[in-house]
Amino acid sequence: MADVYDVHGSIGEEVTGTRTTRRELLRRGAVGSIVVVYGGATAKSAVGGAPRFRNRELKETLRIIQWSHFVPAYDKWFDNVYVKRWGQANDTEVIVDHINVNDIPARAAAEVAAQSGHDIFFFLAPPAAFEDQVIDHKEIVQAVTRKRGKIGNLAFRSTYNPRTKKYFAFSDNYVPDPANYRADLWGEVGIRPTSWDNILRAAPKLKAMGHPVGIGMSNEIDSNMALMALMMCFGGFIQNDKNRVVLNSKGTREALKFAKALFEQGMSNEIFAWTPASNNQAMVAGRLSLAMNAISITRTAELVNPELASKIELLPIPAGPNGRVGLEHVMGCYVIWKFAKNKRLAKKFLVDLETKYIGAFENSKFYNFPSWPSSVPNINRRLERDPVAKPAGKYKVLGEIAEKYTKNVGYPGTSNAGIDEMFSKFLIPQMFAEVAQGKRTPDDAARTYDRQIREIFQKWRNLGKV
Amino acid sequence: MPLRRRDNLLTWLVVGPFAIVLAFPFYWMLQTSLKSELDLYNTENNPFGFGEGSPTLDNYRFLFGETQYAHWLLNTVLVGLVVVAITLAVSLPAGYALARLSGRWGQTLGVGLFLVYLVPPTLLFLPLSRVVAEVGLQDRLAALILVYPGFTIPFATWLLMGFFKSIPRELEDAALVDGASRLRTLTRIVFPISLPGILTVVIFTFSLCVNEFIYAIAFITSSDSKVVSTGIYTELIRGDVFFWGALMAATLIPAIPLALLYNTFLDRFIAGFTGGAFR
Repeated sequence: MADVYDVHGSIGEEVTGTRTTRRELLRRGAVGSIVVVYGGATAKSAVGGAPRFRNRELKETLRIIQWSHFVPAYDKWFDNVYVKRWGQANDTEVIVDHINVNDIPARAAAEVAAQSGHDIFFFLAPPAAFEDQVIDHKEIVQAVTRKRGKIGNLAFRSTYNPRTKKYFAFSDNYVPDPANYRADLWGEVGIRPTSWDNILRAAPKLKAMGHPVGIGMSNEIDSNMALMALMMCFGGFIQNDKNRVVLNSKGTREALKFAKALFEQGMSNEIFAWTPASNNQAMVAGRLSLAMNAISITRTAELVNPELASKIELLPIPAGPNGRVGLEHVMGCYVIWKFAKNKRLAKKFLVDLETKYIGAFENSKFYNFPSWPSSVPNINRRLERDPVAKPAGKYKVLGEIAEKYTKNVGYPGTSNAGIDEMFSKFLIPQMFAEVAQGKRTPDDAARTYDRQIREIFQKWRNLGKV
Repeated sequence: MPLRRRDNLLTWLVVGPFAIVLAFPFYWMLQTSLKSELDLYNTENNPFGFGEGSPTLDNYRFLFGETQYAHWLLNTVLVGLVVVAITLAVSLPAGYALARLSGRWGQTLGVGLFLVYLVPPTLLFLPLSRVVAEVGLQDRLAALILVYPGFTIPFATWLLMGFFKSIPRELEDAALVDGASRLRTLTRIVFPISLPGILTVVIFTFSLCVNEFIYAIAFITSSDSKVVSTGIYTELIRGDVFFWGALMAATLIPAIPLALLYNTFLDRFIAGFTGGAFR
């Protein structure tokens, strides 16, 4: 205050030299505020407002990083309810950081480079390439198995390396991948998208109505999943059950021919610039007639446009010449780094999370399915009774999809480092796009990409990981 | 047509399209931020007008009520100000030294410094992760304050070097002859004349800090310590769901003061960038 008033404390009296101008006051005020608010600029929580060391009395600290869940309510439940309770019960301050799904690989690479970071790191696909950087998660798997019975086959094949006999990750959840279709539009055409053949028959009419089919052929996760599943329905596989590359097959060539025809007759150029958000946005905008995607489409529509949501229905993956062989949409995989500071508590946290998975299942709005099927009892009844679903019971089909048609990436082999690298390089979408655009024939594409994937596998085989 | 009117018309014909193109993103951000989700996703609606439930402030309410946006703004401002201060403290003397004291080596060193600025963060973030971890600054704003000068100082030094060269050496000589020390000459003669260059450095450095993304995403994951560029990206893009309205609101808010800042000091900014161009 002395800066504002003159030496006698009187206001308004002109005192040259010592009087502070309004501008000076503002300047000093701003600087002062910053100094006060950011006094702890080097502290973990730099800004005033949120308590800096909430739960300081808790004995230990556990740091987790995971994606920003597409259901904001899930993160609120996880961060503010589940984790808080678990922390109190285990005398631990649990810090949960969130990251955009696209930055997970870069962040993981940064933590590995620094050999420092979070105790628990969450991936959305089996991170087999990081096997040497993580602990063997066998102990956690065994602990959950003792409480909840056998691990689901999908989780096992996605996280276990039979060559090294190591669990390179711990999967808490996976996400079934249904076909989302506009029942009203397909009704007008008089066909249901129960088979790929039906889709090819209906697609030209739907496109003419202004509602093309949307299956991406771009460097992004949804294209990867949808096209690999399509390929499997035609009998094309990346590897066999011995983890040997078998991409160059009749099934793959047939799938490529089919996809080219589907693009030409029933899709648009948009699919070559597809992003993970494209399915959602185009479907919720009422443009697409069909997309292969998790239930985020219908859940978003329920919030944004309930009337449209009631017209979007779900089906298992369409049948092809090889039947219905689908993939998970995303595979939730936690890892504990070898350099994690609190491995003991990290293991306990994961065991407890999976053992009581009902909260995660419900709060994710049925997005997260448990990797141990018995962790959520009566799952089909829960799906059937979703209070928001229109038509009623809409989500019941997810149970059937999860049980019968959801395989791991790399099926009929296991998800291994070769598959991981091929997956993150988006080779399958590139192969499909090149054929659809007429840059390669199906024969040439299958041969070329088979060779590329063999090289990747050979590298990992030499390292003893495949 | 009178000559002056014709010149005016030509000016408008050239400047008009540029102005529209440059102003359009701001207009689009503002309009989208005021739209309801229902309106936004309805492709039958006029994209330049408002439809069902619009205009609305819901996106702003969500931004300030459901996320830590205000917090991220403050973090961004703090990092920006500190980095500007560090950059000026280092690049002012460095730029002057390279311009005046290093002879012909000055130019070469200046170009070398500028080349450092061109090394992409995508190459540097992995080794720097190690450095940040070693000094114990992970998840702290101090990590950014440590790293950002690595790209702001080279650019600022290079810019100021060119600017200092444009100041007649005779002015400094006169001050030195009158008995002023080198430091006094700098603070009383050189720096005041160089104000446009210094302002350019301030604005440009601050903008670089606000825009930076790679280091911010790699070094900071704690919600409390996020800056705007990473906070909105993490919290408003959730998996395959984009919160477009809130995203647009979140990008518009920091863009306005920056645009005003650029506009206010436009003449000096141009002078700063072109100051050393003829030497």
